[in-house]
Amino acid sequence: MTRAIKVAHLFPELLNLYADQGNLAVLCQRGARRDVSVEVVPVRLGDPLQLGDFDLLLLGGGSDREQAVVARELFRYADDIKAGIELELPVLAVCGGYQLLGQYYELPDGTRIPGLGAVDVVTKAGPANQRLIGNVAITWDHGSARDHNTVVGFENHGGRTFHDYNALGKVIRGHGNNGVDGKEGIVYKGVIGTYIHGPLLPKNPHVADFLLQRALRYRGHPDHLDDLDDGLEWLAHGTVLRMLSIKTGDQGVTI
Amino acid sequence: MQMIQAIRASIAIVVSRWVATVLRWTGRAGTSLPGLVATRISPQLVHRLLRQLDTCVLVTGTNGKTTTTEYLHALLSQDADRWLVNRGGANLLQGLLAALLTVSDARGRLRIRRAVLEVDEATLPLIAQSAHPRLVVLTNVMRDQLDRYGEIDQTLALLNRGLSDPSVTLVANADDPLCAALAEGRMDTVLYGFSSEVATPGCPDGVRDGAFCLKCGAELTYAGYFYGQFGMYECGHCGFGRVEPHFTGRVSSCDGFRQLEVEEVARRTSIQYSVALGLSGLYNAYNLLAAVAAARTLGVAPDRLNEGVARFSPPIGRMQVFPGDPESVLALIKNPAGANSVLRALIQDPREMAVCFAINDQDADGRDVSWLWDVDVEDFVATVTCQRFYCAGTRAADMALRLAYAGVPRERVTVLAALDDVTGIACGGQVQVLYVLSTYTALHPLAERLPRRLGLRRMVSEEVHA
Ligand SMILES: [Zn+2]
Repeated sequence: MTRAIKVAHLFPELLNLYADQGNLAVLCQRGARRDVSVEVVPVRLGDPLQLGDFDLLLLGGGSDREQAVVARELFRYADDIKAGIELELPVLAVCGGYQLLGQYYELPDGTRIPGLGAVDVVTKAGPANQRLIGNVAITWDHGSARDHNTVVGFENHGGRTFHDYNALGKVIRGHGNNGVDGKEGIVYKGVIGTYIHGPLLPKNPHVADFLLQRALRYRGHPDHLDDLDDGLEWLAHGTVLRMLSIKTGDQGVTI
Repeated sequence: MQMIQAIRASIAIVVSRWVATVLRWTGRAGTSLPGLVATRISPQLVHRLLRQLDTCVLVTGTNGKTTTTEYLHALLSQDADRWLVNRGGANLLQGLLAALLTVSDARGRLRIRRAVLEVDEATLPLIAQSAHPRLVVLTNVMRDQLDRYGEIDQTLALLNRGLSDPSVTLVANADDPLCAALAEGRMDTVLYGFSSEVATPGCPDGVRDGAFCLKCGAELTYAGYFYGQFGMYECGHCGFGRVEPHFTGRVSSCDGFRQLEVEEVARRTSIQYSVALGLSGLYNAYNLLAAVAAARTLGVAPDRLNEGVARFSPPIGRMQVFPGDPESVLALIKNPAGANSVLRALIQDPREMAVCFAINDQDADGRDVSWLWDVDVEDFVATVTCQRFYCAGTRAADMALRLAYAGVPRERVTVLAALDDVTGIACGGQVQVLYVLSTYTALHPLAERLPRRLGLRRMVSEEVHA
């Protein structure tokens, strides 16, 4: 029997600064190749968001102007989203979307732009002209990735994010949440928040499968996924590791 | 203080001339290095030189700057006239200075006082005052892949600052809502665009940058479009919309020669003429139309346009054809909008092709390769007759993944270990053309290597004969 899951792509017309459709293409194809049908529903500004219909939310990043528009729109659903997350609703929130899930974004003058408050995460604007930019590699120990224990991509953010949850990974090279505490991203129940784009999922197929499995479980399907030929994926992944002078062995990266 | 600056300027000129000489000896002429050195010694020098220009024309915008500049330079350089130009996309301060230094004497006086200069959007506000341009050509405003964060807003702010002098004539693309919004309300604006009769009816898909009205923020509606955000747009909320351009173009084809037909409207009379269009791709027709509009505004007679265009030699890597078996065509791709227009030109080519993407991630390419996922690769691979895809450059694997997720079977994608391997691509018998699409830093190395494809073939056939 075909297993089916439904993904809400929130505000694609505004939050697509870092090529989120790449993440969606990966989820759809990796699903299809295992007989899991992944339906993506774009939720545009003004559309009603029926949270109960979905097994995964994708929240990307936009420019400041676009993000302010989204924040206003999403406030209506803040309670629903928070409740969903507590019930293990999977969410992938990247860059601005990651910040938006938190309590607030604090501007240099101390003004706090409220977020959805779905998780206890806060972000503060960094010093002007000191964006955290570059290739990034972090550890990965959440899924069953066996010989792949890293996540790689590109980060480009001015905000410094802080929280006490589990990180998505420990920073090996790059800046991570804030350039200070060595954490990158967040994993809380079904939520993955991260500054890593590139986009995130094409070069990190283990993270894509982790999200697919969370979504399958959330929908009540068996979460088994067959292995795929991910030669190109790991080639691209390895390119970033090599560029960052990180040595890999049979057991992945020795950390 | 004046004295010190003058001395610094003199030293800068001497040192940079020496650097330029050394570069010529070592066969590496044509870089911005002399300009870079001179800027370090005397940051004021570029402004001192720019102030001496009697007539300065600046070309800016996201895509098409280099080709438009070359076209315009060709159109303006009538027999006796000499215009300075900066070539090869050297459009930052040091590139402008390097070009100015080539026509400056040892005391910092310009021998040529007219210039067509390509200028980066961020450099425009820095030189707008000292260059005091007679005319600024604005090709388009699109998302570049460099530092994507909130970029369009920033670019528009830079352009607004660069165009703050109301006496400057702005030659702008009427089909681009972002360009047109910048042009609105100016004293002296010359608009160019394509004929609405050749527009594709309906609303373009996936438009991001021109999707919302710059005047009021409402969503724009389109009656038809040419490509990307270019089309017949209108804001239902505030009434902002496309106005009829002064120069309207359309591409026609006669005996295999492609022509740009131009209808020029001035003071309620209209004249028509056609100009030979050397380069393929609608985006290159836009570049020529922009250059024609600027040249006409500067007084070039319509019957002299074709002899001007005959002088045009396309900049490196703009659909540059290298003979071979099969021939190869090199094209620069540097951001989603530009890459999409190149892919659209490939779709128009009915020949059976092999395609190689050379993707680097140096600073000049953009270190973040996310932009590859914004390119409409799906549509391209579904339409085009392409047997094999090759990927080269530091981010070859990222591009290979992009192709795989766009639906290309993985066995038809080859990741090349080195850029050199591009010369060794052996196309199968039925392939009639090899397209090589390259980011900026791979472009020059490829332009050097692609002619060797011919050599390789020759060598092979000579061996067979022997
Ligand atoms: Zn409007």
